[in-house]
Amino acid sequence: MKILILNGNPPGGKGQIDSYIDRLVEKMKSAGHDVTAITLRDHKISPCIGCFQCWVKTPGICSIDDDARDITRQFMAAQYVILASPLMMGFPSFLLKNAMDRNICIVHPHLEEVDGEVHHKKRYDRYPVISLLLEKEADTDEEDIDILKDIFRRQAVNMWSSVGFIHFTESPVEEIIHAITVH
Amino acid sequence: MQLLFINASPRGKKSNTGILMGHFIRGFLETSGNACDVEYLVKHKNNLKILVEKFNASDNVIIGFPLYIDAMPGSVKAFMEALAPLQGRKEFPALGFMIQCGFPETAHLRFVARYCEKFTRRIGCRFLGSILKGGCEGLDVQPTFLTEKYFSLFGMLGVDFGKTGKIDEVILTKLARPEHLSAENMAMVVPFINQGLWDAQMEKNGVLDRSFDRPLIP
Repeated sequence: MKILILNGNPPGGKGQIDSYIDRLVEKMKSAGHDVTAITLRDHKISPCIGCFQCWVKTPGICSIDDDARDITRQFMAAQYVILASPLMMGFPSFLLKNAMDRNICIVHPHLEEVDGEVHHKKRYDRYPVISLLLEKEADTDEEDIDILKDIFRRQAVNMWSSVGFIHFTESPVEEIIHAITVH
Repeated sequence: MQLLFINASPRGKKSNTGILMGHFIRGFLETSGNACDVEYLVKHKNNLKILVEKFNASDNVIIGFPLYIDAMPGSVKAFMEALAPLQGRKEFPALGFMIQCGFPETAHLRFVARYCEKFTRRIGCRFLGSILKGGCEGLDVQPTFLTEKYFSLFGMLGVDFGKTGKIDEVILTKLARPEHLSAENMAMVVPFINQGLWDAQMEKNGVLDRSFDRPLIP
């Protein structure tokens, strides 16, 4: 399977997530997966400025010419995307959010009904499955996790994706390999 | 009463958030003695330190932003992370949010609003509330008959907040309509947005026939 891991660990690379991803990539490769891990802090990813040129001027292409363009391309080329980040104030890092915000070019501005709500139309025939790999904070509680799960599920709906897994770095790497294999 | 309004729209001054903010502040300032500072997050993007200090020195702060893929824009998350060192201090502003989206239903905003409330508790501020409004893309081109009612509600919310220091629940409930769209409403609203808002811009740019382009497929 073609897998993309976006590592949103902030500069300094503290905590467990970098080494966890290293182990994960190694195990995935030995399981025969085609895996790429992108460390977002090493790339130039400007925030989305809400100009909507990717919808109304250059359909499907972001107006900002930086590394996010290639990351979006790799996002769409993958079958499975793992969004990895430490939780910071109860949410993945701004690095990861900036990278995800830049992906709105993969959908179309037009709205349509999806399960009783209005969402954007799809631009492509297929989208990757998206999953979350998170590192907890000292004060992470059930409420935080519920909020995250709900927001993440809605992001998947808006990106015509489906949710794979939501895992924390405290669970063994093998569980993720298993989750991907059975998907 | 003192208020710091942080317009955290990535569009800065030319933002739908700014239009809503303007109506709220106009109401807020009707009470004599009230003072409001406006800061644009985008102007602080390279160094958040001054804005964090200003936040910490305020009595009341409202952060306004548009919904970006079901949550806060990345730049707003960066500011929230920059506020983390304030956790555990004793003096805090009361904190509220003003969140708008292009989707016509308020339901889309409920999830990030839950996050904002939890964020407020985590940092140790008193929570003022979240003002939520859907249907806000292109406010400057929307016809007056669509906008005048809720612009005036934003004004009333500001007047009330200026007097009481509270965000009025009754007005919030009015603003939140429609929470969901009926099938009938959807059939009316969706073509109106698709053609009136989006196709019009694509046509102007000469790309209407390419609107479904798939440039990322080799």
